[in-house]
Amino acid sequence: MRARSAIPLSALGVVVFLLMWEMLAQSGIVPARLLPSPSAVPGAFLSEFRSGTWQTMVMASLSHYLMGLALGSFLGIAFGTAAALSPWWNAFQAWVVRMLRPIPAIAWIPFAIIWFGVSESAASFLISLTVFWINYYATFSAVRGVDKDLIELAHAFGQGGLVPRLFKVILPGALPGIMSGLRAGLGQGWMTVVAAELFGIPGVGMRMMEASGLLATHIVVLYMVTIALLYGVSDFLFMQVQNRVLSWQR
Amino acid sequence: MAAVIDLRNVSIGYGADAPPVLVGVDLTIERGSFVAIVGPSGVGKSTLLRVVSGLHEARTGDVTIHRDPRPDSRAVGLVFQDPRLLPWRRVARNVRLGLEGLAIAAADRDRRVEQALKLVRLDGDYGRRWPYELSGGQRQRVGIARALAVDPEILLMDEPFGALDAITRHGLQDELLRIHRETGKTVLFVTHDLEEAVHLADRIIVLGGGGAGAGPARIVRDVANQPGRDAIAFRDQVEQLRSGIADNYSI
Repeated sequence: MRARSAIPLSALGVVVFLLMWEMLAQSGIVPARLLPSPSAVPGAFLSEFRSGTWQTMVMASLSHYLMGLALGSFLGIAFGTAAALSPWWNAFQAWVVRMLRPIPAIAWIPFAIIWFGVSESAASFLISLTVFWINYYATFSAVRGVDKDLIELAHAFGQGGLVPRLFKVILPGALPGIMSGLRAGLGQGWMTVVAAELFGIPGVGMRMMEASGLLATHIVVLYMVTIALLYGVSDFLFMQVQNRVLSWQR
Repeated sequence: MAAVIDLRNVSIGYGADAPPVLVGVDLTIERGSFVAIVGPSGVGKSTLLRVVSGLHEARTGDVTIHRDPRPDSRAVGLVFQDPRLLPWRRVARNVRLGLEGLAIAAADRDRRVEQALKLVRLDGDYGRRWPYELSGGQRQRVGIARALAVDPEILLMDEPFGALDAITRHGLQDELLRIHRETGKTVLFVTHDLEEAVHLADRIIVLGGGGAGAGPARIVRDVANQPGRDAIAFRDQVEQLRSGIADNYSI
């Protein structure tokens, strides 16, 4: 099925999902405190928006997210490129990478608090960790996968030095893979935003924890929907940029 | 005529411990000549070309261009079988690749790109196209233009038309003869196609003697040729080359 013709069916799926959820919540089988109905979300939004809480929390989360995303992506791409290009560096850091890679970002929360306090920097640090690994591996594979014939071409046409080879052949050739890593990091970053803010850093995650403590589950759902929409918008914008940057692909 | 490429007792191999694939190569190529290197697959034709281009080190012997053992990579223009266009660059920027980093004015660089594209009959809006928008023959023309843009004295061509259909191949062969006539470049042309060699070259080097259990290959014949000869002489020349290769190659 073509992507364009699948749109009505996908929209129908969302409508059916929301209807079933609404019916289950309205039926009384599950108490409203435990499962708020989707129709309660617009009211929760108006309430949060009028008080200014929604805007404050979203802006705070966006700030953590963008800082963590930028830092993690940059370092992931830089270290991934270095490891792919230098066998010496790759061997030197290989076991360190294997030790650190399996540790999830939330396991770093105690150190984030010790090093940065309950601050924006702590949240950005945790987000950057998640994003770093995704970009590191995506870039490593992409750089390793660059056509060796094109690298030889660079040598044959006077572009064999590290800098021209890197910027004229290797990085452009690896760009599709690097962009895939950036896109995956974009999504994973939002997941970490919530986890990073659960321990009291102002933002969407913290507001969700506050609301759940008061059993205001309709507000929790509102921020869940907010995260989903923010991800959707950021992914859409990224795809527009990617389509433009990779317009040379058939 | 002055020698531009000179190989003295060159042997070529891959890896320090592996046996050499080509030994005892003594070859002098004069300015403006069109030399074809022929021989069966795996005999070392492309490797010999890579050694001349500087992309591969000879194991022993001397390789010089204008008596210089380490000439600038732009002293030669290389054309590959697969044109190896950078897909993220439009045609004109692909042609410009070898000019980047040279101390020439931007306007002069653009002019040279334009001239090179004109020489391969890809002027007009072709410069603004992406490589994927071109046919196989057009892509190969861009590869030739890229090599010509740096204005090398020597064109090294590694089976450049080998992957093209017969009609496109014949068209490009004639284009290459025209370019050779117009520019006076020295051409070293690798091909496994004897008809192509006889059609294009004024000198044909035959590599042979390699193959299963037969040891490394070497130059087995060095034949003067007259491109544009009549059909009977053409067939005779092709047959002589074919039997020369068969005599010196065990499968």
